[in-house]
Amino acid sequence: MRRYDEDVVEVVRGPQPGGAGGVYRAFGETLRGLKTTFARILEGPVTVQYPEEKVPVYPRFRGRHKLHRFEDTGLEKCVGCSLCAAACPADCIRVVAAENTPEHRISAGERYAAVYEINMSRCIFCGYCEVACPFDAITMGHDYELSDYNRSDLVFTKEMLLAEPLERTPLRAEGE
Amino acid sequence: MPRPEVRMVTLTIDGREVEAPENSMLVDGAKHGDVEIPVFCYEPKLGPPVGACRMCLVEVEGIPKLQTACSTPVKDGMVVHTQTERVRKAQEAVVEFLLINHPLDCPVCDKGGECPLQDISYGWGGGTSRFIEPKRHFRKPLALSPLVAIDRERCILCYRCVRYSQEIAEDYQLVLLERGAHSYVGTFDSTPYVAPFAGNIIELCPVGALTSRAYRFRARPWDIEAAGSICTLCPAQCNISFTVRDDRVLRVMARDNPDVDDGWLCDKGRFAYQAVHADERVVEPMVREGGTLRPVSWERALDEAAAALSRARGRVGALAGDGATNEEGYLLGRLLREALDCNDLDSRVARGPSRETARALSAPALGATVPDVEFAHAVLVLDCEPMDDMPILDLRIRKGVRRHGMRLVVATSRPSSLDPNAAVSVRFAPGAGEAFLAALDAALAGGDVDSAAGAAGADPAAVRELARLLREAGDDVVVVWGERLTGGPRGEQAARALLNVCARLNLRRDGAGLLEIPSSANGRGLREAGVLPGAGPGWSEAADGRDAAGIARALAGGELGALYLLRTDPVRTHPDRTVWSAALARANAVIAHASVLTEGLLEHATVVFPAESYAEKEGTVTHPDGRVQRLRPAIGRPGGVRAEWQVLADVARRAGLEIALPTGAAATKLLFEAVPFYAGLSLVDLAADGVRWPERDAASALDAPAWEPVELERPPAAPSPNGALRLGTFRPIWAAPEVEVSPALRFLSARARVELSPGDARRLGLASGARVHVSHDGTGVAAEVVVRSDVPAGSAFLHEAQGANALSSGEPRLVEVRPA
Repeated sequence: MRRYDEDVVEVVRGPQPGGAGGVYRAFGETLRGLKTTFARILEGPVTVQYPEEKVPVYPRFRGRHKLHRFEDTGLEKCVGCSLCAAACPADCIRVVAAENTPEHRISAGERYAAVYEINMSRCIFCGYCEVACPFDAITMGHDYELSDYNRSDLVFTKEMLLAEPLERTPLRAEGE
Repeated sequence: MPRPEVRMVTLTIDGREVEAPENSMLVDGAKHGDVEIPVFCYEPKLGPPVGACRMCLVEVEGIPKLQTACSTPVKDGMVVHTQTERVRKAQEAVVEFLLINHPLDCPVCDKGGECPLQDISYGWGGGTSRFIEPKRHFRKPLALSPLVAIDRERCILCYRCVRYSQEIAEDYQLVLLERGAHSYVGTFDSTPYVAPFAGNIIELCPVGALTSRAYRFRARPWDIEAAGSICTLCPAQCNISFTVRDDRVLRVMARDNPDVDDGWLCDKGRFAYQAVHADERVVEPMVREGGTLRPVSWERALDEAAAALSRARGRVGALAGDGATNEEGYLLGRLLREALDCNDLDSRVARGPSRETARALSAPALGATVPDVEFAHAVLVLDCEPMDDMPILDLRIRKGVRRHGMRLVVATSRPSSLDPNAAVSVRFAPGAGEAFLAALDAALAGGDVDSAAGAAGADPAAVRELARLLREAGDDVVVVWGERLTGGPRGEQAARALLNVCARLNLRRDGAGLLEIPSSANGRGLREAGVLPGAGPGWSEAADGRDAAGIARALAGGELGALYLLRTDPVRTHPDRTVWSAALARANAVIAHASVLTEGLLEHATVVFPAESYAEKEGTVTHPDGRVQRLRPAIGRPGGVRAEWQVLADVARRAGLEIALPTGAAATKLLFEAVPFYAGLSLVDLAADGVRWPERDAASALDAPAWEPVELERPPAAPSPNGALRLGTFRPIWAAPEVEVSPALRFLSARARVELSPGDARRLGLASGARVHVSHDGTGVAAEVVVRSDVPAGSAFLHEAQGANALSSGEPRLVEVRPA
């Protein structure tokens, strides 16, 4: 027969302080902490007033994705090969490809992405999509302000990803 | 030739003792020892190896140079090395060589992710190339046909597609043009490669050179799921695998089952999946209101159908066809016989032989399997065109002739596409199958051939020659025959003649027998499930009823009040279109399960239940050789479509018959219990490949004693043309509603054509392409003339498309052909 009180783990407590030890705890330790506080008062506050102020990010920070076009022709770099979707560990990218025609040319190759969606609520910003892309069509941008009121609004479409994002995130300068 | 006896030999591969079948190639032999040798061009299905790609080089002790494992047969005591430095360097060099002109555009290539070239480059390639010169360029992408795209830059010249076209499909269209580095695959004069089996080259191509135009850029391999099922678009019931993305079927691939399809598919099976998602598809129940069909709720449709059937209790007919499963056929039989007290139901298009004769014809001992066709000594193709009626069987017959020395004899009224492969071809007058069989029976028995052959309009000498060949070819003879042979008023006599021939050739043995091609995709299964007048589930005895033609006459005459159509439209598929039109117009209620509103339903159906497509269905179907196969749903049902077993059970309940069916599997269980020779089967047993019931112990339930040849009636003589033409009809492979609503296949959909012999065409002053009016007794159809040199004089063959069944009936007919 198993006894349930065997499972109870006795909490081992230190000896009850008393006398001088108790007084030191009450005041000495507090003062020791305050020493640090007062020593730093002269430095001024370091709190960043987000969202009015933003912490600059490093150049290789992985924020919201961007899709790119060729600068000269304006054609999309993405050919809809789905390799990003294959690499994505969160399974948040959906690509449906279609064929370019001479009259309706979207990208440089034979195919283009008719649908390109990233579900930002699922994305873990690992950057594998960027690594997988054979055409440098997708890169990780610097935007991290992605909150929204609606889950479905977090599914970013191709148009949203292609649009030049409002650069709201300052970039950390060299050596900063 | 009978199946060769397999002897095993022992050899050493990479230090392992391996037992492999004698005469197999090293590549296959190595697999017995779990050694993989990379290949591109080698494909056992394509016949003897060619050794074109050099990827399979291995070292064989005793032979100084490296050998191609795909063309070196295993030998006893052989010592093979596949992992030595020499082999590795050779493999790396071959990969480097093959990639010299390959564009490596994998991200935009449809093959990317399921590409043997990718896999082998990773697995056996060196990873680098020393080749810096420009690669060769071709115009791309080009359409090899409206169904297949070709990218010649990606081609590694493995010859697979060319060998397929030359040796498997035998359409002799694809060739390798030019020489050396300039070689490319194409048709000789750049005409599109359109053939009934052309789509198989897509699956054969080991690189992305040949891709499906319908699947072009639809998905990558990691976006999709494969769902195995059965194609129920024709009696061949090939095993297929649906490629599904986002609950849509995007592609159909072959699922290799050597007992059914040998891993090939026809283009109808490969591309007609598009009908599943066609706009024309019926996805809501409909009821006729004010002359037009309008979508209504299920409750309303079921109530109306049940009310109409109950009103006509005792006066209801039913037809089933196409892709109806065994379960649906069984439930339809119970609905009619038990709930509505009717016995008028049929799954054949014309009256067949009596129950006893039909049982004798489908006796398990007399049944041949599909592989038997390949390994028989001789095959008689009798009054059917496998290319149109059961396409995959056509490839099997060609394989038997080409690879196993099978002797093929063809006896048809229409020139057959198998004629060039046949040792003897005999033509008889359209509809004179019975007379031909009587002549053959006489020839085999040493009787009077001339009178019966004269009645059949066949050459007596040719019939004698055919009989001699069947007798002398060997013991294993398979007769492949079409349902039309025993259809019509004289079906019984034709069946008896056929049984006589079987008895004389002693076909009750393994490796020989009969293989019937039914007229609808699951014809055999529906018959075994009891959708027949006068025969219940498992050919059990049942009260006699009207056959399809009888139902038409009874409806037109007002003796029947309602008609239940399970996936068939008699106005389109049954002979005597005018009679059927009148019958449906006169019927008080026509209740149909349909996925496409064909002409008869559009005009006359009063209630239409949306039918499931074969990608959504669950249940079982029975292959013409008796293999019970399982359909599994690959996608969800669109719109308001419900399972058809459920609809049938709901209608039955409203009509007063409670059938407890919680699931589709419960319907299967009921069926297996009802059919004696299916007893003990379960869905689990059917697994992926199905089970051939004639090989099970329960098959004894249908065993019939050996047929003793009977005295045959004198067959009626075929009508003599005498200025007119004998009418023969046939249903081309492309005459199907699925083809008409599939965008990729629409260009192939059958048109009304009439085939004439050059002599008749000259006499009538007609040339190919002329518009004519083909008529009999005032009814006629418009058609386009096709002059074929091998059509026998005095006959005209009408493609059953666009209302051509207005002219056909169960009996031989003469028609007039006049310029329109």
